[in-house]
Amino acid sequence: MTTLGRVALYLVFALTVYAAVAGVLAGRRGDRRLMRSARNAFWAALAATLVAVVSVEYALLTHDFSLAVVAEHTSRRLPTGYTLSSLWASEAGSLLLWLAVLTGASALALHQNRRRNRELMPWVAAVLGGIATFFAALAAFVSSPFAHVAGTVPVDGAGLDPSLQNPYMVAHPPMLYLGYVTMSIPFAFAMAALITGRTDARWLVSVRRWTLVSWAALGTGMLLGAHWAYVEVGWGGYWAWDPVENAALMPWLAATAFLHSVIVQEKKGMLKVWNMVLVSAAFSLAVFGDFLTRSGVVQSVHSFVQSPVGPYLLGFVAATLAVSTALIIWRLPLLRADHRLESVISREATFLFNNLLLLALAFAVLWGVVFPILSEAVRGVRSTVSAPYYDFFLVIFGLPLLALTGIGPLIAWRRASPDSLVRTFRWPVVSALSGAALLWLLGLGSSTAGLTALSLCIFVTVTVGLEFARGTAARRALAGGSIPRALVDLVGRNRRRYGGYVVHLAIVILVVGVTASSAYSTVREAHLGVGQTMVVDGYTLRNAGVFQRKGPNYTFQYVRLAVSRGGSSHGTLEPGQRVYDTGQIGNEVDIRSSVPSGTDLYSILQGVDRDASGGVSVKVLVNPAVGLVWLAGVVFLLGALITLWPDPREARQLARRYGELLARSGA
Amino acid sequence: MTAAAAVAAAAALVMLAVVVVAWPFVSPEREQPEERLSDEDRRRLALAEARDAAYASLRDLEQDLRTGKVTEADYEAERDRLRADAARVLRELDRLR
Repeated sequence: MTTLGRVALYLVFALTVYAAVAGVLAGRRGDRRLMRSARNAFWAALAATLVAVVSVEYALLTHDFSLAVVAEHTSRRLPTGYTLSSLWASEAGSLLLWLAVLTGASALALHQNRRRNRELMPWVAAVLGGIATFFAALAAFVSSPFAHVAGTVPVDGAGLDPSLQNPYMVAHPPMLYLGYVTMSIPFAFAMAALITGRTDARWLVSVRRWTLVSWAALGTGMLLGAHWAYVEVGWGGYWAWDPVENAALMPWLAATAFLHSVIVQEKKGMLKVWNMVLVSAAFSLAVFGDFLTRSGVVQSVHSFVQSPVGPYLLGFVAATLAVSTALIIWRLPLLRADHRLESVISREATFLFNNLLLLALAFAVLWGVVFPILSEAVRGVRSTVSAPYYDFFLVIFGLPLLALTGIGPLIAWRRASPDSLVRTFRWPVVSALSGAALLWLLGLGSSTAGLTALSLCIFVTVTVGLEFARGTAARRALAGGSIPRALVDLVGRNRRRYGGYVVHLAIVILVVGVTASSAYSTVREAHLGVGQTMVVDGYTLRNAGVFQRKGPNYTFQYVRLAVSRGGSSHGTLEPGQRVYDTGQIGNEVDIRSSVPSGTDLYSILQGVDRDASGGVSVKVLVNPAVGLVWLAGVVFLLGALITLWPDPREARQLARRYGELLARSGA
Repeated sequence: MTAAAAVAAAAALVMLAVVVVAWPFVSPEREQPEERLSDEDRRRLALAEARDAAYASLRDLEQDLRTGKVTEADYEAERDRLRADAARVLRELDRLR
């Protein structure tokens, strides 16, 4: 199987080179057969990549420790599920997964557009072929999953890192890869539009859904990673501004900006250059994120050890930026805006401000990530950029962004008059101010940023609620029917708009969860002998003894903490440590979640007394409303799905606009 | 899997890929070469987009009036402007047909 897998990878490389060359020739000659051949090459490349994936999985399942990816990341007693998912625990294996997603997404995008965008598609194939060639070359020649171990083949493997033996790590990396990789599709369309001069809005329509897929996958992947960190890494939080977490956040911010600014181009014919810049930035940041994860230049719980692919990835990012910048400059005359911004008090202006703030936040994060690298390169000393730096910029840029989330949907296009502003915003503003006063009276004034964030959340919630209420009422006035019927009609006829509002609600829920769990959490640490108690935010925890139990490939040592509150029992918490058969040690926190309030009682075992007396050191946190962070993920996905759902009316309109008009030319 | 079986499977995979890639050149289906967009086509496209954008803006404006985002006076002024834009675009599109 190893031979087959290796040949399959060489074949992928050959096929992607062919697709890139055939795409260029098809674009230059207008040859449809060459274009079909390039498209077929992507399907064949996908099939060959899957053969390579199956070959690696076969080696993992049969414990072929002659392969480095198997020997370094699995062991004979690793459960089968984690043995399969260890494909992406290794740098080489994860590169193969990246290639599988890339060839699959490219083949699908080319297939979807086989009868549309005929002038663009050869160049889309060429760009995607170029990107796939680069990653196939890395997987085949630089960091191959079929590389053998140096020296003697071991009888057993080193085992999988304990922190990766968690169900979230089965889903989190593939979801992030889906997000990173599918950013290639909008980039390829943008470059094809610049090469062909087809800078009309058609390419935007074609890539909107792919951008949404990428953006939703990155968002979901980040939340899955945050939940993994919360339940597995065991410091009590879920987001540590780790460089690899930031690597996913940066392209997500750029994609969020693009999803907003694309509306302005479609509605007003403005921000054409800006949209090209955003797509290029989002793709470059996605590849840069891959560089951060793989190169070993940053220290992170999420990153791979140093690998040889780093310099190649950095070179690829530089080449991407250089080529896209040159193409944008070349096509500047075609990217002139149809209209000008007439007033700063208009929806297009709020979208522009939203874009500037998102990009400013993305670049603040980027600077925080690259500063330690630059500092080490220039001065030879590694500096660290810690959470307060990021928290500062999150507040500075994040709070105005949150305000714009509420302002944007309610303000009119082109220009809003003072009368309409007063009429539209009086209730949201009154609600936010009343809410702020109430929250302050409830004792939440200890954090100014927290109080401001929560007040703005009320403002945004009221604006979104008003949008749904007024829209439903208007729909009923127009078409009659019940309120639920009118609501379903309203959302169905305006999926992008109302799906977007649901995502705004998810952001509000996320902000409430993050604010409450970070600004208003309680932390206590204590040493507890058997029978001793500690009190945390009204909860009493008693050391009921230290115990052990066997797992499939580990021994679990834990302390049982009996929890009570106000004299009534709240069960037990059992934080502990797993000692794996391979000698690795993994922390296991225990969390008790309260469903109505979303508050977590979170316990960490920090140490067990060596004298076998049963004494333990524990850390206990009460994280209020942290459950809202995970609920936000569900609402976010719901909103993304509403927005992504195909709209037949829009499809008909596009067919009329591009199909009939160009039927004569066949383009 | 034996070495011989692996080599045979690899050869079959390569052959299959060659057939899939070469198929458009050997299939009996003949296709016309791609036609390029002329400057006039591009102008027509831009006008079609402008027309649809004006229609969408009019629909948004109606919705903004119904949901109280614009006053009656603002609505009338903006509606007249959008209608004039749409009429200009339609006239130009007619001229190109």
